[in-house]
Amino acid sequence: MSVLLALWVGTPVLSEAADVLHMYTALDPNEAKVYIEAFIKDTKINVEWVRMSAGEVLTRLKAEAKNPQVSLWFGGPSTEFIAGKKEGLLVPYNSPVGAPFLKGNLKDAEDYWTGFYFGAIGFGNNTHWFEKNKVPYPTSWQDLLKPEFKGQISIAYPYTSGTAFTTLATVCMIMGEDKAFDYWKKLDANIHHYNTSGSACVTQAGLGEIAIGIAFSHDILAKGSSKGYPVKGTFPSEGTGYEIGGLALIKGGSEPELGKKFIDWTLSKRAQDLMQVWFRIPLNPEAEIAAGATKAADVKLINYDEEWAGNNNKRLIEKWRQMIGK
Amino acid sequence: MVSDREGGGISPLRWHFDEPPNEEVFPPMIRTKRFVAALRRTPSDLKRLFQEPLLLMGILLVNVFLFLFVVLPLFKIFQLSFEDNGRFSLQVFVDLMSKRYNVQPLIHSLTLGVAVSILGTLIGFIFAYAITRVDIPWKRFFTVTATFPIIAPPFMMSLSAILLFGKQGFVSKMILREMIQFKIYGFWGLLVVETLTYFSTAYLTLYGVLQAIDPALEDAALDLGASKGKIFRSITLPLATPGIASAILLIFSQSLADFGNPMILAGNYTILATQAYLTIVGMYNMKGGAALAILLLIPSLIAFCVQKYWVSRKSYVTVTGKPSAARIKVDRPLTKYSIFGLCLLLASVIFLFYGMILFGSVVKLWGANHSLTWDNYVHVFTIGWEYIKDTLLLSSIATPIAGVLAMVIAFLVVRKNFPGKRLMELVSLLTFAVPGTVVGIGYILAFNQRPLLLTGTAAIIVLLFIFRDIAVGVQTGIAELQQIDPSIEEASTDLGADSSVTFRRITLPLITPAFYAGLAFTFVKCMTAISAVIFVVSGKWNLITIAILGSVENSDLSQAAAFSVVIIIFILLALWLIQFLVNRLGGGRKLKFEKAETLQSI
Repeated sequence: MSVLLALWVGTPVLSEAADVLHMYTALDPNEAKVYIEAFIKDTKINVEWVRMSAGEVLTRLKAEAKNPQVSLWFGGPSTEFIAGKKEGLLVPYNSPVGAPFLKGNLKDAEDYWTGFYFGAIGFGNNTHWFEKNKVPYPTSWQDLLKPEFKGQISIAYPYTSGTAFTTLATVCMIMGEDKAFDYWKKLDANIHHYNTSGSACVTQAGLGEIAIGIAFSHDILAKGSSKGYPVKGTFPSEGTGYEIGGLALIKGGSEPELGKKFIDWTLSKRAQDLMQVWFRIPLNPEAEIAAGATKAADVKLINYDEEWAGNNNKRLIEKWRQMIGK
Repeated sequence: MVSDREGGGISPLRWHFDEPPNEEVFPPMIRTKRFVAALRRTPSDLKRLFQEPLLLMGILLVNVFLFLFVVLPLFKIFQLSFEDNGRFSLQVFVDLMSKRYNVQPLIHSLTLGVAVSILGTLIGFIFAYAITRVDIPWKRFFTVTATFPIIAPPFMMSLSAILLFGKQGFVSKMILREMIQFKIYGFWGLLVVETLTYFSTAYLTLYGVLQAIDPALEDAALDLGASKGKIFRSITLPLATPGIASAILLIFSQSLADFGNPMILAGNYTILATQAYLTIVGMYNMKGGAALAILLLIPSLIAFCVQKYWVSRKSYVTVTGKPSAARIKVDRPLTKYSIFGLCLLLASVIFLFYGMILFGSVVKLWGANHSLTWDNYVHVFTIGWEYIKDTLLLSSIATPIAGVLAMVIAFLVVRKNFPGKRLMELVSLLTFAVPGTVVGIGYILAFNQRPLLLTGTAAIIVLLFIFRDIAVGVQTGIAELQQIDPSIEEASTDLGADSSVTFRRITLPLITPAFYAGLAFTFVKCMTAISAVIFVVSGKWNLITIAILGSVENSDLSQAAAFSVVIIIFILLALWLIQFLVNRLGGGRKLKFEKAETLQSI
């Protein structure tokens, strides 16, 4: 009987309804829910989604390449999408909604992925710790090496988090690869621990588990100060890297039309306005920006080479793991 | 009572049935088995098998399923790691061991495993000794405390450790006012939380062993003038030694396989189970992950084999006719109250950890805003509802299937003779010995392409649940069946019923307690599973444990705490339901396993 039951369980779930969009998202689940629920309300298209870090999404898509489970990848830095394009996991789509304003590196030249927000790497600092220890806030990459920050800094593993990988690529671009790795070796001595999720360190800074979390500006605001944690963001004077958050259609996904609708919707003013809840900077110029959010003009940005970062992803990570041993 | 002394058990859980101890006499399994086997090993065995097509089909199907869902996934891991361009190669291990980031987790995992197993066994022994041998008050309370960790989601202790001893922790901030800084991320934190989680295994093993030691020996020593201390050193402890070794090995395997706690608390102390996961999901490196899985598998299998084939055979437990009812209790006030104090201290620590989860779940924003709120529960039942629904549905499908399958296997192994019977028993136990991470990796490798395309379906999660947890059901079923005289079933066969009718009408009702114990165990395991299923969850099917891990990763500690409380409530409800069913349907024998007991006293 058990055997029959097992067979019975196996069959019905293999077939699926067509009017549901399946997606992976690398956005925080509480944030993703806001957009996805608004989309469902606006379009009456149902969505089933799972949250994973960007690196996990990529692995999952690769593992499922022969049998794609989702049609859309929503959220995550463009470098991860470039890696996904290189792996042949994506299909191009040129959204008519985004065409007027998505210029330059805001989307893939061949439309394999589409950008929908901007965010810069910064430092989320626990204000209580800094007041108590009477130490100035870090305002440069070099500041992070100061001995008083020993065991007080947290970031994610570059191989599980887009945030941390963007940071690694950023210091490589600022200092040159060799010096950047020397730098990280010294930085490692000050790192309390590595997380798997990029934004986790902001809450940890808020909780006082650490003094400084290296994360994206919108995460520092959304998961730090706006939640009530004593977190203040600062940015490195040498310049900082940034991400263009993207979304893309999955090759072989069973709902490409629904996926396209989602991309169009995400670029609309209505959806881009919603990004205020997470302090992301929308790319649609008509959309409203949250008060206090960090705009591109507010910080010194480096000329972040996404293509280089995406193409050297594997090599840099392997080198990093060899050196740091984690 | 089902205990290890017959040499068959590997389960960390002993299910105690409410029988007076002096009725616990049944012949050693090995002897019975050999005896029965010798009686029945006739050339007509195979012929008889062919006369019963249903039985034959059952045996074949069970074997096919065990092969597909236990052996094949493991084989795939070996294949991926040892095969290089179609040839056998150890290259991947050479690569692996030449890298610091792979060698360190191996050393860390083994060190942690040894430390946790020794400390956990020590605490388990204290509780077991206090409850079986010392005349202390509040025994019921201590029994509940010592067994509660079994039904709790495995990473709850880590979550609680952060709530208590993190920088914003209840103890470190509110009580000690930041005078002491605890290093909870890393070895020490893991040592504490894993010890508090897994000492229950030692307690249950040693409780069984101590309970089974014939008190006549101790009484005799007392009559001959030995002091209580001397009796402990020269009789009780030596007799319990195989049980202690068993407990150490079991906890060692559990610590190696632990995934949830290190995910949360390891910090820079990288360990194998989580590194294998990160290698696959972070580095997209299946081959490297599979090889790490094998590194994890080897020590686990060694511990399993030593425990099953060596330690448990060395059992000194005395099975003599009727043990005398008198049992000396340690009653000298000093010894008694120091042991009582120790138990009380340990129990308070455990209660503090679990109580903290309850408190954390009603706090608005841990560390910043400690006003009380139900918001986290609202979150759990709105955003988290999909997770709860899926978890309950999939667990409820898997539990009865696993229960019945386990009884079928136990029935076939004990009562029937067919080629490959031993192997079938071993394979059904294998699932228990293999760390979840290894099984999970095996499943995505084995069921990712046609014709066995299961990734993304509910079926893969259900199958994983069934075959991960079947060992305990099989073990309890076997132990229970061996106490039942086969003549009842033979009578049924003689009267013309075939094997399937006999199984349904005679065997199954007779082994109902074991069946329900298996059900309870499986359900708890399904609800709290994470290490293996994390590889196979998908957009359509998701689980509460994964949601908790996500919440903790995002440091949404209060949400995670609320999720944990909800899991425990569902588990207690289910156990109560199972207990209720047993009492109503289980006939005269009342099932008294620890979990149900936990339920009643809350």
